[in-house]
Amino acid sequence: MAKRGRLEIIRDILTIIRDSHSIKFTPLLRKANLSSLRFKEYLSEIMTKKFVIETIDKKNEKFVSLTEKGASFLEQYRTIISFIEEFEL
Amino acid sequence: MPPIIQGFIELGIGAEIIYSFVIIICSLMIYFGTKEIYELSSYKGIKYFRRAFLFFAIAYFFRSFIKFILLGFSSWDIPPHIPGAIFEGLTIFIFLYFSSMAIFYLLYGVMWRKWNGDKTKIIIFHLLAIIISLASILFVNKLVHIMLNAFLLLFVISIVYIAHRNRQNSSKHNNFYIVYILLLIFWIFNILDILIPRFFQGIQLFGYLVSSGIFLTILYRVIKKSGK
Repeated sequence: MAKRGRLEIIRDILTIIRDSHSIKFTPLLRKANLSSLRFKEYLSEIMTKKFVIETIDKKNEKFVSLTEKGASFLEQYRTIISFIEEFEL
Repeated sequence: MPPIIQGFIELGIGAEIIYSFVIIICSLMIYFGTKEIYELSSYKGIKYFRRAFLFFAIAYFFRSFIKFILLGFSSWDIPPHIPGAIFEGLTIFIFLYFSSMAIFYLLYGVMWRKWNGDKTKIIIFHLLAIIISLASILFVNKLVHIMLNAFLLLFVISIVYIAHRNRQNSSKHNNFYIVYILLLIFWIFNILDILIPRFFQGIQLFGYLVSSGIFLTILYRVIKKSGK
C-alpha cells in the first residue's frame, strides 16, 4: 500500500469524524491507522486550523466533531488534489 | 532621452499599459483565486505558486507605471538636477528583482518536495535575484545581458524539465510544464525588452500578445481547477 500524503491523512481523519458525527480520541486513533505520535501531530494541526472541535459530555468524556471549516476541507479535497496535480506542485 | 523611455514611446503608451494591466489582473486573480484552497490545505506548493504570481503583479506594476512616470519626467520639464537615470536604474532593479523572484518561487513551488522544503534555497534565490538585478543595471554591455539571461533560461528550464521527468515516472501524465517553459522564455523576453530597447524591434507587440496569452492560459486553468 502506498504511503499516504499529509492531505490524504487529514482527509481520512476528517472523514472518520464526519461519518461518526462525534468520536472519542481512542477509537479515532485506531481507525486513523497512525502511530500515536503522528496522530497527535495531525490532531493538533486540524484543531489549530479549526477543522474539528473538542466537546466534553456529561460523563466528562472528550469527543471531537467536525466543524463547518472541516466539512469545507472535505468538500474541496478533490479540487485541491486536482489543482496540485494540474500545476505539478 | 534615456533608452527605456525611447523604447516605451516607440510601441505606444496604450499598448504598454494594456499589456501590463492584463498581466497584473491575471496575476492578482490567480493569487486571490487560490486563497481558499491554500488556507484549507496549507500546502507549500500552492503557497509558492501564489507568491510567484503576487511577485509578477508587483514586477509588472513597476514595469509600466514607473515607466509612465519616467515618460512624465521626459515631457513635464522636470528640473535637470533630478537625474532620470537614477529612476530608470531603480525601476529596472525593482522589475528585475520581483520578476526573477516570481520565477524562482514558481521553480521552488515545483521543486519543494524534491528539495525537502529546504528554505536556504529561497535565501539563495533572493541573493541570486539581487545579483541579477544589480548586474543588469551595472553592466551596460548588451552581450553581458544576453549571456546572463541565456544562462538563467537554460538553468531554470533544465530544472523544470528534470522535475517534470521525475514526476512523469511517479504520477499521471501532465503537459503543464510546457506552459511553464513558455512563461520562462517570455520572462527572458521581457527582461531583454527592458534592458536592450531595440532588441525585439518589430516583434515587440507579438511578444506582448504571446506573454498575455500565456498568463490568460494559466488563469483559465486556475479558474477551471479551483472553481473560482
